[in-house]
Amino acid sequence: MVAIIVKNLSKFFEVSRKAKMHSKSKSNGDNSGKEFKAVDNISFKVKKGEIFGFLGPNGAGKTTTIRMLTGVLKPTIGSITIFGKDSRTESLHIKQLIGNVPEEASVYTDLSGWHNLLLIGELYGLSKEERKNRAEYLLKEFELLEKKNIKAKTYSKGMKQRLLLSMALMSNPEILFLDEPTSGLDVQSARIIKEIILEYNKNGTTIFLTTHDMDIANELCHRIAIINKGKIISLDTPENFKVLVQEYQAIDLSVENGLLKNEIEKLNYINKVQEVNGGYHIIVDDIHNSICEIIDYVRTNNLKIKKLITYQPKLEEAFLKIIERGGSK
Amino acid sequence: MNKSVDYEMSKFRSVGTQIRRSFIITKKDLRIYYNKPPVLIQGILFPLILFVALTIGRNIQSIYLISGMMAMILFLTSTSLGPIVFPWEAMQKTLERLITCPISIKTILLGSMWSSLIYGILFSSIPLILGSIFSVISLNFNLLLIIVGMIVAGLAFSCFSLILSVPSSSTPGSTMVFTILIKFPLVFMTPLFIPIVLTPIAYISPLTYFIDIINVSLGDLSVFGMFGILIDLIILSLLGLGFLFLAFFLHEKTLEKRFQS
Repeated sequence: MVAIIVKNLSKFFEVSRKAKMHSKSKSNGDNSGKEFKAVDNISFKVKKGEIFGFLGPNGAGKTTTIRMLTGVLKPTIGSITIFGKDSRTESLHIKQLIGNVPEEASVYTDLSGWHNLLLIGELYGLSKEERKNRAEYLLKEFELLEKKNIKAKTYSKGMKQRLLLSMALMSNPEILFLDEPTSGLDVQSARIIKEIILEYNKNGTTIFLTTHDMDIANELCHRIAIINKGKIISLDTPENFKVLVQEYQAIDLSVENGLLKNEIEKLNYINKVQEVNGGYHIIVDDIHNSICEIIDYVRTNNLKIKKLITYQPKLEEAFLKIIERGGSK
Repeated sequence: MNKSVDYEMSKFRSVGTQIRRSFIITKKDLRIYYNKPPVLIQGILFPLILFVALTIGRNIQSIYLISGMMAMILFLTSTSLGPIVFPWEAMQKTLERLITCPISIKTILLGSMWSSLIYGILFSSIPLILGSIFSVISLNFNLLLIIVGMIVAGLAFSCFSLILSVPSSSTPGSTMVFTILIKFPLVFMTPLFIPIVLTPIAYISPLTYFIDIINVSLGDLSVFGMFGILIDLIILSLLGLGFLFLAFFLHEKTLEKRFQS
């Protein structure tokens, strides 16, 4: 089942005279007219139960897209359908189904964590009993129960972000939109948030996630779309993205009794060997098989390994490569 | 046939839900904004300062003293909260979170309107209560008419305040300056603390119609003749509705500007 269908979606913003003078470098595409294209004709589908990553450099159009999906901005062109409901005609129905953690958003700092949650619960139409039970459960889950009656202005950034996520989960949404949920957070808060995203996804919640943290995207996302200058330039699984940067599979090796470069080059799966600080930096085609080959060779020749470090291709490298190319694989 | 009835019913239920949810916004606004500096300055400090400035050393009849104070306080307090809600929420970065809840922009505005009304009525009742306690006015005033007048005028003023928050600023300070520039001339156009003399300027100010209602409720005669109170109520209601729909229209048009980054 498809949770989100985005078809030919575009968002143009009017450019004020002042902004025109200052933002030539910030715009996506043509900035010569009265409008600039923040999002330019994008289409994609998100399956139910999927964690869908939306990556891109600053100013690429991620936040504008998420704002259109959550009903904050209206699309200039194109359509958004969420669980079969059209965002133009059934936006309130859609809002009832979603939870949202906007980028740099804040909680009501004059209210306690408890009252922030009750307020959201009330706005989603939960009964008094449901509100209290759900708020209690979420505060416990997010390790905020001890401070539930204290005004949120005293909370740390990580605690505020956890409260914000718990507010988004108050209505037990079908889809959760997270715009940079772990940006600038301490390790503990980031870990809690990551675990809860996985937990809710396991229980069937669809997650739409934008992040700059490639490790999180790699770890959590089932599929990733890369957006740049308002256009989606690539969409695939993290594994398939990493195939693009196979050359980043490498081994650092140094052996006690010495080992000749040409001997390593003769082994299978070895692509390139470079001498580095008395050892070798070996670029390989297949990391697992090449390790086996090296170890077999070392054993057969009674050599002793001093250092062996492996390097796997990273999503970050694939991302940078795609952005540099400015197009799909 | 059944389908269209279902559609109408769901639309009706949805309107009911949104009105109910607007009261949740009201509760939130009253809880958060009642003690914010712009609200305290415009809602409490300004009426006090203006009252002292406009009455000191003058021989004012008790009816006009009470009606003038009530009108000034109702106008200034009920227009103090509405204009700061949007800029404050934008500044605190809570607006986007609120908008993605299953409520429309109209619901948020209605919520602000109710909270402005409650705030205004609470404070403008003080002169009437004090006047009654200290026997400044006779106790056989028309309480029902005063209540109706306060609600209708309070709603009109609150709706007016929603228009003042249209400029898409995220700095409550600049919104405050803008609202002062609009509100003060209206106060000075109104025949406060004196019998109403209908000059073209007095017609423009919505406060004039409210003062007329209070004056009549306290025993004075309406300056609008036979249909005086009715005219006052109709004009205030029409103004309120006009301001409300204009606020809906303008806010829906300018909302996106708050999120252009």
